Amino acid sequence: MSELSVSSRELEGVVLLYPSGFINAHTVSTFEDELQKAMGGGRFRIVVSGQDLRYVASAGLGALMGVIEEVRSNGGDIRIAELNETVGNIFEMLGLQHLYRIFPSEQEAILSFREGADTGIRDA
Amino acid sequence: MSERRRARPAVVLRVPSGTEFLATIRDTTKRVAELAGCDATLAAQVALAVDEASTNVIEHAYRGASDRSVELRFVLGSGELRVEIVDDGAPVDTRALPEVDLQRYASEGRRGGLGVHLMGRIMDTVTFRRTARGNVCCLVKRLGAGEPREAR
Repeated sequence: MSELSVSSRELEGVVLLYPSGFINAHTVSTFEDELQKAMGGGRFRIVVSGQDLRYVASAGLGALMGVIEEVRSNGGDIRIAELNETVGNIFEMLGLQHLYRIFPSEQEAILSFREGADTGIRDA
Repeated sequence: MSERRRARPAVVLRVPSGTEFLATIRDTTKRVAELAGCDATLAAQVALAVDEASTNVIEHAYRGASDRSVELRFVLGSGELRVEIVDDGAPVDTRALPEVDLQRYASEGRRGGLGVHLMGRIMDTVTFRRTARGNVCCLVKRLGAGEPREAR
């Protein structure tokens, strides 16, 4: 069984990515491919929904860090939703809530894009 | 005899240096951490720290070569869980853990550098030394020491 699969769909102009399983140095290319697929199609409003994400190592966080500037410079953003406690703790431990908007639900993350391109992130 | 002298490896794991073995490392570490008394959340975090250290070995000390080996020694005792990650690859930078500026990393599109930072957030001490056997990264979690530190 693969350690990671990533499905996607588009809703209201927002690309939703659903990583399922474990993101680490071994699997991160699968996640990066999906990010690049969205961006390559000129879609820069992205929600990563973590409802089935069981684990993320720095490789996965680095994949997000590596593209966030490009996404935002194209008027979009990457927003995070539905993290479980383990993954949510990792984001908080690194202070990533100061870099990404994190929502309890996927729906809230999608709706947040109606507010405009502003990331809503202010310096900590 | 001191507690420290009585402490000895509880589990030794040696795996090939391919990233496909990171899952084995993660699962073993989590199980040992739970045996040491960590709750499930903390055990998962310790497993993440060891995953990061092992990834560093594969990517930096071995420069991606998958035909080497990574040895992990889990030591229980003295009120702590100690994990040593040993490799015989190229010497690694043993300086203090770097401070990470997330805003700068993002603006520069940097993908690396978070792993060591994460190790430092989860574990109580992270040290590197070079021995006759090679590089040793030593991660220590004091048991009953509370939750990992919050980001500053």
